[in-house]
Amino acid sequence: MQFDAIEPGVYPELIHPAYKSTLKRGSTLAPLRVRDEQAVTTNLFASPKLILPHDMDLTAQGKGEPLGEKIVVTGRVLDEDGKPVRNSLLEVWQCNAAGRYWHKKDQHDAPLDPNFTGFGKMLTDDDGRYRFVTIKPGPYPWGNHHKAWRPAHIHFSMFGNVYAQRLVTQMYFPSDPLFEYDPIFQSIPDAAARQRLISRFSLEQTVDDKMLGYEFDIVLRGRDATPMGL
Amino acid sequence: MTSKITASQTIGPFPHEAWRWAVDLTAGVDSSAPTIRITGAVFDGDGAAINDAWIEAWMPDSAPLETAHAIPGYRRVPSGEQGGFTLQVSLPVSLPPAAASGKPAAYITVFARGLTKHQFTAVFLEDDAGLAQSELLGQVPPQRRDTLIARKQADGSYLWNIHMQGAQETVFFDYT
Repeated sequence: MQFDAIEPGVYPELIHPAYKSTLKRGSTLAPLRVRDEQAVTTNLFASPKLILPHDMDLTAQGKGEPLGEKIVVTGRVLDEDGKPVRNSLLEVWQCNAAGRYWHKKDQHDAPLDPNFTGFGKMLTDDDGRYRFVTIKPGPYPWGNHHKAWRPAHIHFSMFGNVYAQRLVTQMYFPSDPLFEYDPIFQSIPDAAARQRLISRFSLEQTVDDKMLGYEFDIVLRGRDATPMGL
Repeated sequence: MTSKITASQTIGPFPHEAWRWAVDLTAGVDSSAPTIRITGAVFDGDGAAINDAWIEAWMPDSAPLETAHAIPGYRRVPSGEQGGFTLQVSLPVSLPPAAASGKPAAYITVFARGLTKHQFTAVFLEDDAGLAQSELLGQVPPQRRDTLIARKQADGSYLWNIHMQGAQETVFFDYT
């Protein structure tokens, strides 16, 4: 595959002062554009055996039903040519309905749910599609500044079909009033690029009276290396 | 804007439990080849250890040697309280000491809270006689190449630190 340079504003700023921990961690130098054959042609093999029975249903991992609003999230993973990224490993993680992560360092004063850890993983199918069932995550405070609250989000980790396609991002929910106050979301200068991180409500994906559906398509970097029109 | 790519967002401070499965699956190395150990730590621009970073290693030439692994040629490790990490690498015949290859011992991806995107880099072994001819290293300005080279220690392991920022900032890649 080949990877075009990212257009200015489409990716978040590496140092975005409003998001304080970027100040000493973000690179101050532009990344070095390099060509390396293995980075753009090879990748780990994600065996279907890595996926455990309830990895795609985060509401079925405990002894009982977790609290909160049950939802289904689905979408397609595509490359920049619009081709499906097939059989590709995808991880998700999130806080519970009360805004608490299953993590020893999360100090938010909100209850854990013994029936919800908030992590899953899956492989995309031949159409590049993924689908998982979960609980709608809550917003939570994070101490970056006074009244800093994160908009509700689900973390996505994708391995693509070649190593250089690796991407970790966050999926948001429509019409969240916290978008304009969130320096992590706002670290992306381009408004259209920010919009692409927001899932859309889907009546089509909604399952009867069981759960509402959300669609979130993902476009990974990389296009076919074969030059067109030659 | 013509690009429709999905932007990156930070992994934040709380992926540990969700990412643990791959840490556990890649912790033990069962290889048909000799292995080496690369240890190091991740530092911020003040030289402070980053204790919530993540290192992923991809070793395409090692993968065929690790057929018993759930994910051959791949490792995932969180940094420790002092920023430290250890990677065990199976050495294919294409890498030193068997060969002067100029290839990285591992392609490295770094994640952390405060990184709005992951950073790609790579680690080379200092006793690789092929470094001067390395295709990848050759694309790096000479004065910054040292940041990608792991130094051999008295015990036979290699030391390689990652600096996210500052005078010793590690070279981070954007593949074309």
